[in-house]
Amino acid sequence: MEMKKSRKILLTVIGIIVAVYTLFPFYLVVMNTFKSANSIVSSPVGFEGISVSQLMTNLSSVVNNSNFNFWYAFGTSVIITVVSLIVLALFGGMAAWVICRNKTKWSTAIYMVFIASMIIPFQVVMLPLISTFRDVGNFVGISLLQSIPGIVFAYCGFGGAMTVFILTGFIKGIPYELEEAASIDGCSPEGTFFRIIFPLLTPVITTVTILNGMWIWNDYLLPSLMLGQNGKVKTLPVAVQAFVGSYVKQWDLILTAALLAIIPMVIIFLIAQKQIMNGMVEGAIK
Amino acid sequence: MASIRFENVTKTYEGATSPVVPNLNLEIKDKEFIILVGPSGCGKSTTLRMIAGLETITEGELYIGDRLMNKVPSKDRDIAMVFQNYALYPHMNVYKNIAFGLKLRKEDPAEIDRRVHEAAKILDLEHLLTRKPKELSGGQRQRVALGRAMVRNPAVFLLDEPLSNLDAKLRASMRTEIAKLHQRLDITFVYVTHDQTEAMTMGDRIVVMKEGVVQQFDTPQALYEKPVNLFVAGFIGSPQMNFLDVEIAKEGRKLYAVLGKNKLAVPDFKCNALAPYAGKRVIMGLRPEDFLGQNQLTEDNAMDTEMSFSELLGADYNLYMSVNDIRIIVKIPAAGAQPERGSYRIAANMDHAHFFDKETEQAICH
Repeated sequence: MEMKKSRKILLTVIGIIVAVYTLFPFYLVVMNTFKSANSIVSSPVGFEGISVSQLMTNLSSVVNNSNFNFWYAFGTSVIITVVSLIVLALFGGMAAWVICRNKTKWSTAIYMVFIASMIIPFQVVMLPLISTFRDVGNFVGISLLQSIPGIVFAYCGFGGAMTVFILTGFIKGIPYELEEAASIDGCSPEGTFFRIIFPLLTPVITTVTILNGMWIWNDYLLPSLMLGQNGKVKTLPVAVQAFVGSYVKQWDLILTAALLAIIPMVIIFLIAQKQIMNGMVEGAIK
Repeated sequence: MASIRFENVTKTYEGATSPVVPNLNLEIKDKEFIILVGPSGCGKSTTLRMIAGLETITEGELYIGDRLMNKVPSKDRDIAMVFQNYALYPHMNVYKNIAFGLKLRKEDPAEIDRRVHEAAKILDLEHLLTRKPKELSGGQRQRVALGRAMVRNPAVFLLDEPLSNLDAKLRASMRTEIAKLHQRLDITFVYVTHDQTEAMTMGDRIVVMKEGVVQQFDTPQALYEKPVNLFVAGFIGSPQMNFLDVEIAKEGRKLYAVLGKNKLAVPDFKCNALAPYAGKRVIMGLRPEDFLGQNQLTEDNAMDTEMSFSELLGADYNLYMSVNDIRIIVKIPAAGAQPERGSYRIAANMDHAHFFDKETEQAICH
């Protein structure tokens, strides 16, 4: 009993340390959006100089800044994220279903390729990827760099592996008899997917969509490489770069813009966290 | 017309060295209630799934009515199927589950509604129409699965062990419901089970299968009274038939089944068939209920036995006895009986004895 109690205390202490460690950057961002640039430099961690009026001033400066172009960047981020997520959910689901139900050497090989691609770090492929995209774009006559379709295409490629991996695990738990019953009832294979399988995937697709959504929405590296720092198309994380100069960094505006960028994801995550956990567990045990 | 005909049908799974169903020839008449029965892995479900179009046919031809079905997809076979785990669509309520097949066939919405409510009324599901499958009990799910199949008015109704997930009481009542459903729908039913009680009580005719081969295809009574081989004799009936390794002895015109010191006279009407086996050993089968009362005990039907224990089943006792170290079960009426361990002389009803060739295991006479 004593052992159990001391173990519990130890785990709680570790949990608190990890929570503080994880939340501290978020605390810094939120706290400093209430401060002026001078207050941030003089006291980046403390509460000195915080005021709601300063927050309003910072928000106004960020939203109305012509270099930052908040609404355009916000719209671009929304389009890239939403389109990528729809394509990932739809085609990821189809791929996972076919891989799971067709027990051939080819389907196993394709599944292995998906899994293998998950263990290759993005940093390894990012530079060859850019030159490949440029060459392919030149070849087909469609610009894949500095364009929304190009980056959506890249996100679908990078997100496809995890999506297929999680969905495959879930589909294995769906009784095959449901599909047989559907085919006897008169469903075509496409009908079976959209009328039976896809609705049953809703919990896990929600989970995957939120995980992919957080990644795509917050991603900086891929859009900065594909869209460029000074390109016409910018996502929110890339656009924040507008406040970073060679000699001066406008920390009040950088942090306020960062807060604006992460707020939608935080809200969605808080609303859907129960769904995420359910989806993770179902995917794991089914 | 929905007769079903298998002509030299063989099913071999990919990568398998031997077929799971080799050269099946079977004709099921229109509106018959047929039971496919056999132990696990005997090919009965595969046979049903070939009718449903869920398994491809490696060789041979399958006809439903006069139509060759080998390449016809499931949805175009005019069949409905009830699965062992019911296969209800979890995201649809009972109404949508039942109506699904009709909607896909683009039936008139008013007609769909009428047929769903009609099926729900027959199956006592009207108050459950808005519920999802997870909110239903096993028996209710089973009825929804039946409703989903019957609402389509199929020509052939296929059932794959539909009662195996239910408890004993519910199983007994659902047996009756399915038999009634067959009478009401008046279409061909093909029912797969490994439970011989279900087989005996429900079917017009029963197909007993073993290792993909049809052992006997006959009425329940014929299977019980005249099993064609040892396998059918052992499979049909509960408790199963007692098998005794006996020697056929000839004394004058009479034949005797000799088992140690026991010498049982073979009835005259079985003698002709058994005569060639005089001096040879055969398997004699006696069902547990084929023993007579003490008042009918004679020197010609007496067996010396040793009883080890008894089981009270309510109306009957099952007595576990041994004859010449061979274990047998004897069923006697429970009324007035108080069986105790010990030695007994019991009377075998030799009129009901079955004899099987020891090598071929085929029946010699009944």
